[in-house]
Amino acid sequence: MNGSVIAQLVVSGSLMGLVYALIAYGFQLTYATSKSINFGQGELVMVSAFICLTMTNLGISYWFMVPLGLMCGALLGLFVERAGVRLALEQKNEGWILLTIIIGLFFFSAAENIWGRDDRPFPTPISSEALQVAGIRITPLELSVALGVFAIMGIIELFKRKTLLGKAFEAVAADRDAAELMGISATKTIMLSYSLSGVVAAVAGLLVSPITTVGPTMASALVLKAFSVAVVAGLDSGFGVVLIGLFLGSLESLTSYYVGSGWREAPGLILLILALAVRPTGVFGKIPIKKV
Amino acid sequence: MIKRLFLICGAEALLALLMASIPMAVNNTFVLGLLTLLTIYAILLIGLGITVGYLGQINLAQAAFLGLGAYSAALGVTTFGCGMLPALMIATAVGCLFGGVLAFPALRLEGPQFALSTLSFMALTATTLNEWESLTGGAQGMSVPRPPIFGLMLNAKGFYWLCLILLGLVWVAMRNLLSSQWGRAFEALRDSPIATDAMGIGTHRHKAAAFILGSGIGGLAGGLYAFNFQFLQPQIFIYDLMVILLLGVVLGGRKSLWGAFVGAAIVVLLPNLLSNRLLFQIFSGTGFVFALIAGARGLLAKSTRPFQALAPVVAMGLLVFGGMFVDNTEDWRKAIFALMLFSVVVGLPDGLMGFAARLLTRLFRIIPAPFPAASDLESVLVCRQPTSEPILSVRELTRHFGGVRAVDGISLSVRSGSVHGLIGPNGSGKSTLVNVISGLYAPNSGEMLLHGVPLPRGSLFQVARRGIARTFQNLQIFTELSTLDNVMVAMKGIIRSPLPLVLLGLTGKSERRVQADGLALLELVGLADQSRIPAKDLPHGAQRFLEIARALARRPQLLILDEPAAGLAHPDVIKLLGIIRRIRQCGITILLIEHHMEVVSDLCDIVTVLDGGRIIAEGRPEEIKRHPKVIEAYLGARHVQSAGEPVAAAPELMPV
Repeated sequence: MNGSVIAQLVVSGSLMGLVYALIAYGFQLTYATSKSINFGQGELVMVSAFICLTMTNLGISYWFMVPLGLMCGALLGLFVERAGVRLALEQKNEGWILLTIIIGLFFFSAAENIWGRDDRPFPTPISSEALQVAGIRITPLELSVALGVFAIMGIIELFKRKTLLGKAFEAVAADRDAAELMGISATKTIMLSYSLSGVVAAVAGLLVSPITTVGPTMASALVLKAFSVAVVAGLDSGFGVVLIGLFLGSLESLTSYYVGSGWREAPGLILLILALAVRPTGVFGKIPIKKV
Repeated sequence: MIKRLFLICGAEALLALLMASIPMAVNNTFVLGLLTLLTIYAILLIGLGITVGYLGQINLAQAAFLGLGAYSAALGVTTFGCGMLPALMIATAVGCLFGGVLAFPALRLEGPQFALSTLSFMALTATTLNEWESLTGGAQGMSVPRPPIFGLMLNAKGFYWLCLILLGLVWVAMRNLLSSQWGRAFEALRDSPIATDAMGIGTHRHKAAAFILGSGIGGLAGGLYAFNFQFLQPQIFIYDLMVILLLGVVLGGRKSLWGAFVGAAIVVLLPNLLSNRLLFQIFSGTGFVFALIAGARGLLAKSTRPFQALAPVVAMGLLVFGGMFVDNTEDWRKAIFALMLFSVVVGLPDGLMGFAARLLTRLFRIIPAPFPAASDLESVLVCRQPTSEPILSVRELTRHFGGVRAVDGISLSVRSGSVHGLIGPNGSGKSTLVNVISGLYAPNSGEMLLHGVPLPRGSLFQVARRGIARTFQNLQIFTELSTLDNVMVAMKGIIRSPLPLVLLGLTGKSERRVQADGLALLELVGLADQSRIPAKDLPHGAQRFLEIARALARRPQLLILDEPAAGLAHPDVIKLLGIIRRIRQCGITILLIEHHMEVVSDLCDIVTVLDGGRIIAEGRPEEIKRHPKVIEAYLGARHVQSAGEPVAAAPELMPV
């Protein structure tokens, strides 16, 4: 085995791993407040990427398009919450699993028909010419992915810790009933978490589409691995997703190189099933005490 | 009774007859193909219905089991030269095997985690089938010859009849299983896994059994699928198929064999429906009108939330409206599925057959089967002579939560045949103590002996099997089951019914005995006239009594009652006293946790008082009421000095 090949594989793999971690972070945001996740999150990533692409094609400049794209992500997140999650939460059942899958399916089909089934390139002002750092090739585009992931996660964490609204968010996450008794509306906080999760999905779409191109299926593999990352790390683990994301990303690119590219999905899937078998609350998750 | 049997069995027989005779009347290969596919999907959906309907878990792996069954049947024929039946057996076995492999990690999981693990399994299966080219031919696909059965080559009609026979067998076996104690156990663990274990039913084994069964049926359907199409490709068994299967189950109706059949019919006919514009418009228009009427009725009767009434109308409206503008409805196949699924999940949670079943029951006034006469209570409870030996001894028991010593070195002995009270202020460790004894928590240290034999530690299920039954302070009833079913299911570990006999439908006698015993217990707690009501619709007091009846169904030697009087109105408290006395007459030892002083002093032979995880006093109720440490624990130290006469005041002031 060649050391520099491995290093190269690990670096480029872990950059993709950061994207998985970002999508997984979107799951965590909604899980914290409502104990639900959007099974159609991948479609949110894909639809926001398509909307951003359309805006660019309409001649809107990249840096002006970004905030608009994020807003679309937030709106899509709100739509998912209203149409797919709220009723099930009110009835205290798990209908949201099915409903979010269904909404994802609808988005997928709509995207297929509106934007076509082909993959399309996504223009970006950031250069994709490789730089050599210590013998490893890395492009500014890839670096921008890492930077973007950390930036958005940092901003949301700061928001949660430093602002009053963010503290309300944390309060609902800690104890929904107690927060409601203190006059915090859980419904509004869950709406907030879904819109933030939508923003995160839109950021993921913006960051990843220059690398993977934009197409209806662009996020279906991404989101499977984001599920793995979220579950292995634990759905309530905060920054644990970053570590697991980096690990899974590099594991995957090594698998793809040494075993075959068809098997690249396998380690994530096996890891997820194993993690659930050994530690259902995830590596960094808290184990709840059963109460009766 | 006869009308009921006639209508229900008659409908099934009629369906079977109709399905069997269509190929003789209509000689059309296209129709025959559809019918064959319909039977295969119906088998597959019956399997999926076990996990989705009865366990209440979203299972996304059924497409994978179809694929695994299909490929293993195909390999059985191509590599080992199996006949039709052996190949189908292999397919079923492989389905069961992988179901077992997946059930192991999925056992402990609920809700989203379960859905995710099955989703991953599906993706992993698709990857493996695609990449293991030496075995499966990879993306190129593999062709499968249709093998002979008993040396006989089947033509298309013969194969269809084979599928139909297998569907009939699966149908009857599943009907027998799901209406037995097993079906009740599946539903019980969906409603409360903790109570399922505490009633000695066993959450894990039933969850695994249900899942393996569903997977095996999926594998069987896969084998038939392979021999029907005679060509397999990994791309068939992926996400899209899974969505279609969910559509079938949800649309047809969960927890219903007819639902699986109707769902399969819709799934099979849908592609044809989509390709014909007129048919599609009629179909979507009907759906829209239906949603509109149902929504308006729900809103007027205020029985549904506005969202529940409006969302299906919007979705179906979008379907009708969109259908007029779209050039090719088949391109929008997935969106159409999505809209239909959405409307059904939101507006018709029981599916089409759930709705139809309610309607038909009303229309034909089908009366449910009568119950047998209740058994004699003495025979149900197996009365014993109390020996006044200690039945339960606990020595130096501790349990910590982080730094909190909830139970801090408690030693306790419960005499056989006594009512042993356990009192103490809030947070004194009463509930933790019984949770440790009953196996919900494992102790950090200490000994627990039942009849001098150590009790299992940290397993509700194993402790229950040793003869300890308990109720819960925060009720853990099986909400969706009827009152009687709640009691009956607790007898699953007592009056056994072996699985093979259940599948063959040969357990009628033990079923009637369980019913009779259950009714006797319901009579004891005064709920016999409400035996058919879903337990969730009972008032709070009745639910507490139901928990007692359910615990008694375990025929316990030791019954732990965790605050049975909590939240009871005064007349119910009086009733509770009578019930507990009656239980005690049967020689059943009772460990009673209670706040109500009147209950404790009326019933208990001996009372142990806890505070801060330790025992502060023990004795007869009247001694306890005078004990200075007890008064201090309840009222604070100040009252003790002035307590020349606190005895009279203290009982009223005890927190309730």
